[in-house]
Amino acid sequence: MPNVERSVAPNQESRFEKALGTYGSALERLARAYEADAETRRDLIQEILIALWRSLEGFDGRCSLRTWVYRVAHNTAASHVGRQLRMRKQDFVALEDVPEPADHGESEKAASHRDELAVLYELIGQLKPLDRQVMVAYLEGMDAASTAEITGLSAGNVATKIHRIKHILARRFQSRAAGAAGPGEGGRDER
Amino acid sequence: MSDESSQDDRMKELWQSQKTEGVRMSIEQVQASAGKMQRKIEFRNAREYVAAFLVVVFFGYEFSRAADLLVRAGFALLIAGVGYLVWHLISKGSWRPLPKDAGLSSCIEFKRRELERQRDLLSSVWRWYLGPLIPGMAVLLAAFFRANPGHLKHPAFIVVPEAIFFAAICFAVAKLNSNAARKLQRQIDELDEGGR
Repeated sequence: MPNVERSVAPNQESRFEKALGTYGSALERLARAYEADAETRRDLIQEILIALWRSLEGFDGRCSLRTWVYRVAHNTAASHVGRQLRMRKQDFVALEDVPEPADHGESEKAASHRDELAVLYELIGQLKPLDRQVMVAYLEGMDAASTAEITGLSAGNVATKIHRIKHILARRFQSRAAGAAGPGEGGRDER
Repeated sequence: MSDESSQDDRMKELWQSQKTEGVRMSIEQVQASAGKMQRKIEFRNAREYVAAFLVVVFFGYEFSRAADLLVRAGFALLIAGVGYLVWHLISKGSWRPLPKDAGLSSCIEFKRRELERQRDLLSSVWRWYLGPLIPGMAVLLAAFFRANPGHLKHPAFIVVPEAIFFAAICFAVAKLNSNAARKLQRQIDELDEGGR
């Protein structure tokens, strides 16, 4: 994740171009984390970009452009999830309530039969919007302080959540990693 | 611990190395997004115009057949109410075309103003959609009772169910529109949140 200096861009359009050029891919990944359907996701991305465009008019440089972009994007995406929730009556879980895989064998089996990214998206898709924000920020390589600034959580709370995220990811994916490192098996355990 | 750390790096690498299409935003895309809304509004209005036409044809036919002056007055008032409704829908509820030379900010502002217009339209249905039909319905009910004086002995059996039926339809229509207005308000709020 490249860093962008805190200086205020001379106008809204150049700030927007800068934000899009630097964080465009990250915004796309963020949208994927919030919306699985490709068509609806395109609308969500447009919503995020419109919100970002409008917000940059008032960008005063008191936080980094990265923090600003992520905050706007997460807020817009969280509103989107709220709307979907009302329409689909879907339930989300907190990080603390993400079920543990029954055992490593099951975890490995699941991960080896599906794309790891798909498993990761499935996991993210279960999370409540705030936990999803933390998870996405973590995967984007942000530190706890930046994540706290974006989400409005305390740094301690973010650290706890990140600890939980690491644990969940380890449980879900470590067998896969071990399998992938194994000689001559192409990353799969032949049972 | 180092295993966990390498696992972390692997997951981050997996996440960040995803293929992306490249997001962009242009006036055309904002216009396309506004266009979706426009098509929905136009479809809604077209449906209302067809319904209004059918209602006017039916009430006009009944008006021409009715011998009783009060009945004719009732149908005439209903036709006038439908006429007002259609006029209001055309003047206040049509989606205005986006100016072709508008910049990106103007496009977004334009979309916001249109959302506000539609919200105001939907949240005031009593004034322009239901209200104008009430006098005609009331006169028709009065004409019905005048033509059937026997019913006046037991008005509760006749008046109450019909009044409740009409009122229930009105409140259901008002509720549906109020819900739609709330949805539009949420979209406006989201646009405003982006602007803060």
